[in-house]
Amino acid sequence: MPTLRLLSAELLKIRKRWLPYILFLVMVGGAAIIIWLGGFAEYHSSDAEYRPTGLHTMALPWSLVALLDSGQFWGSFLIGVLVASGVATEYNWGTARQAVARGETRSQYLTVKLLGLAAVSAVALLAALAAGVLFSLLATSIAGEPITFDARGGPSVAEIPLIVLRGGYGVLPYALLAFCLTVVSRSTAMGVAGLLVFLVGEAILIGILGELGGPAPAIRASLVGHNVGALQAANAIGFTEYNSIAFRELPVASELPDPTTAFIVVNAYCALFLGVAYYVFRRRDLGVESGGG
Amino acid sequence: MTQPDIVLRTYGLSKRYGKRLALDRLDLEVQRGRVFGFLGPNGAGKTTAISLVLGLLRPTAGHAELFGLDSRTRLPEALRRVGAVVEGLAYYPLLSARENLRVWAALYGDSAERRIDEVIELVGLTARARDKVRTYSQGMKQRLGLAAALLHDPELLVLDEPTNGLDPAGMREFRELIRDLCQSGKTVFVSSHLLNEVQQMCDDVAIVKEGRLLMQGQVTDLLRRGEALEMQVTDTSGAARVLKAIDWVRGVTQQDGRLTVEAPRERAAELSRALAEQQIYLSELRPREGNLEDFFLEVTGESDADA
Repeated sequence: MPTLRLLSAELLKIRKRWLPYILFLVMVGGAAIIIWLGGFAEYHSSDAEYRPTGLHTMALPWSLVALLDSGQFWGSFLIGVLVASGVATEYNWGTARQAVARGETRSQYLTVKLLGLAAVSAVALLAALAAGVLFSLLATSIAGEPITFDARGGPSVAEIPLIVLRGGYGVLPYALLAFCLTVVSRSTAMGVAGLLVFLVGEAILIGILGELGGPAPAIRASLVGHNVGALQAANAIGFTEYNSIAFRELPVASELPDPTTAFIVVNAYCALFLGVAYYVFRRRDLGVESGGG
Repeated sequence: MTQPDIVLRTYGLSKRYGKRLALDRLDLEVQRGRVFGFLGPNGAGKTTAISLVLGLLRPTAGHAELFGLDSRTRLPEALRRVGAVVEGLAYYPLLSARENLRVWAALYGDSAERRIDEVIELVGLTARARDKVRTYSQGMKQRLGLAAALLHDPELLVLDEPTNGLDPAGMREFRELIRDLCQSGKTVFVSSHLLNEVQQMCDDVAIVKEGRLLMQGQVTDLLRRGEALEMQVTDTSGAARVLKAIDWVRGVTQQDGRLTVEAPRERAAELSRALAEQQIYLSELRPREGNLEDFFLEVTGESDADA
């Protein structure tokens, strides 16, 4: 039962749904907002004080950082919706039950689903980023500014793959959280609502903990959002003048863990969410009456 | 290596949901090349038993063997030789029948992929094979389920209430298909609450009620047990007395001046002679076929016919 063949079938299922296309359009819309409203409009504002910030948001290579920062937050939510829907509908349609009854092991079923959703998510995020870059080029061109990657103080071309990876890595724990919540609850609504509550609640909590003393900083340092913020801050170090529509404070590099520590903590959360999902699914009854499909 | 004659065997298979015992120590044997009917009223535990065999539910106790492979350790391997349609049809509504089958074929490999057209034709869905399944009627979805179960040419077919949603013509076609599959060497395990369907289709039958196996046997044996002779005689009471005295007569009932004698049909002449020796004469003698419904009602104690 080669995994590649199963993965191809998984991609066929996802491709035939309308939700990935809607979510992709929302991502492209978000990229447009960043570049045109957050960058281009500010660049053309009457107050000259805001022109550099607008330029940094609108023009390459800084616009990549702005796109990835906002894309990490909102992309996490949108990918969470895709993941939750992809997992829960198979429960509702009964096809998860059918796959297991046909000899696909439960671990294999979850793994193939994860790989399929990860592939589609990666393509959607990268395509939305590409659309954002295209907007950036257009906006920069219309503004009459030079289009170059050789900007002083900006990320080099060699750094771009790394900052894209950091941005993408910031999406991963939240996508896996949505996956975990949906596997446990068997419900798209629970997966999405749980993720949203977690995203917003954690952002608020991180803000509150940042104002407190005692054990608060240690607690904050262990939260996933704080560590994802560190990865985004690593992207922004040296060129932090950009607009963000992410629901969080702009990362302050001095308060954040170093990217390696952040990477380890994010990995730990990913392992936890995956572990819970696999554990529950492997032990679960998949009967009609139990909602297994 | 010879194939085991028993393709499915369960050992004390039990499932408990909280305080409710859905299945109680089920011991079943399904022989190779036979059509096995799994009968029971709604809620008797049929779907639970099938789900346990297919690994969808975790048993509270007991286990199953498929093709001699222990379900506790080698279930996925065994299930690749099984085609199943479980209650609550499962399909991808946004995909066509052909695409649905492509998805399932991915589990089995190229040979299953090559059989897609064949099974679509077999279940009569060729004309609608490219339409989205959400536009299908219930009967068409049933056919698709059967096509998916046959896709990898399985040795054992497990079908849970497979004729739900089929019209009478579809049910007849289905029965014929099952018989054909059986003649080609496949084993079919079919659960149903439709007694007539099982009687026409199955070689062996097991009856469950409230999670417990009530009996298991060959359909022909069960029907033979239900055979009787209906007769009208010159002296009903006298005839009843004479017939009850015969040791191989299983029972005699009187109703509306007629007698129903539970006895083998081939011994009708002996009954006639015994009555004639007592100066009691037959004015009418008619054999009555045994049927599964009567047997089912007798075994389960159900009063309504909708088993």
